[in-house]
Amino acid sequence: MHENYLLIISLIISASVCDTVNQLCLKTSINTINMDVSNFKKALILIWKIARMPLAWVALIFSSLSLFLWLYVLTKSQLSFAYALDSIHFVFIAFASSLILKEKVGLKRWVGTLLIILGIVLVSLTG
Amino acid sequence: MTKKGLTFSVFIFLLLNNLLETAAQMFFKKAAISQEHFNISQGADILVFVGHMITCPFLWFAFLAVFFIFTNWSAILSKIDLSIAVPIASLSYVLVTLAALVFFHEQISTLRWIGILVILAGVSLVSTSSSKREA
Repeated sequence: MHENYLLIISLIISASVCDTVNQLCLKTSINTINMDVSNFKKALILIWKIARMPLAWVALIFSSLSLFLWLYVLTKSQLSFAYALDSIHFVFIAFASSLILKEKVGLKRWVGTLLIILGIVLVSLTG
Repeated sequence: MTKKGLTFSVFIFLLLNNLLETAAQMFFKKAAISQEHFNISQGADILVFVGHMITCPFLWFAFLAVFFIFTNWSAILSKIDLSIAVPIASLSYVLVTLAALVFFHEQISTLRWIGILVILAGVSLVSTSSSKREA
C-alpha cells in the first residue's frame, strides 16, 4: 500500500466536497434565473446573469479550490486511481441535492449511488 | 422544449467530449508530474504550489480543453437529454484509465478495472433516473 494512501484519499474527498459545494451554489444560482437556453446568444446572457450573483462567485472559489486540490492529488497518485475515486462526488451530490435542494431521489438513483460506492471501494483496495 | 433522441452527429460530439475530457486529465497529470516531489508542509507552500501550477503550460492546455468541453457539452445538452448524454460521457472513466495505462505506464489490476466498470454502471443508473419533471 502507498505511503501517502490516507493523505491521497482525504485530498480526493476534499476536492469532491469542494466540487459539490461548487455545484450546489451554481445550481441554486441557475434555479433562481429560470431561463431557457436555446441558442448561443441566450447562453451568453445566462452566463452574464449568473456572473452578477454573489453565490456564483462562491462557486468559482470552491471550483478553484477543487482544481488545486486535484492537481496536488495528481502529484502523489496514479491518474487511473484518483480519477475513479473522484466519482465519489456523484454520491455527495446525490445526498446534497436530496437534503439541501430537496430534490426527489428515487430508488434507481440510490441503487446507482450504491454501485458507485461499491466501485470506489473496489478501486480503493488497489491503491 | 422538445429534444430529439440520439443522432449520429450528436454521438460524434459526445465521443469528442470523451476525448477532450481524457486530454484534459492527461494535461492535469502532466502538470502535476512536473511537481512530483513537491510537499505542502506549511501554509505558504500552498501559494508556491499554486504559482508553480499556473505557470505550467500543461495546465493552460488543460484549461483550453475544459473550455471546449464546456462549449461542446452545452451544445450537446441543447440537443439531447442529460440522461442519454451522461452515460455516454461516462465512457471517459474507461478512456482516462486506458490513457493512464498507455501514456503514463500505470499498472492497472483486474480489481481496479472491475471497480471502474462498477462505477460506470452506477453512473449510468444515476443519470437515467431523472425525475419526470422537466428540468
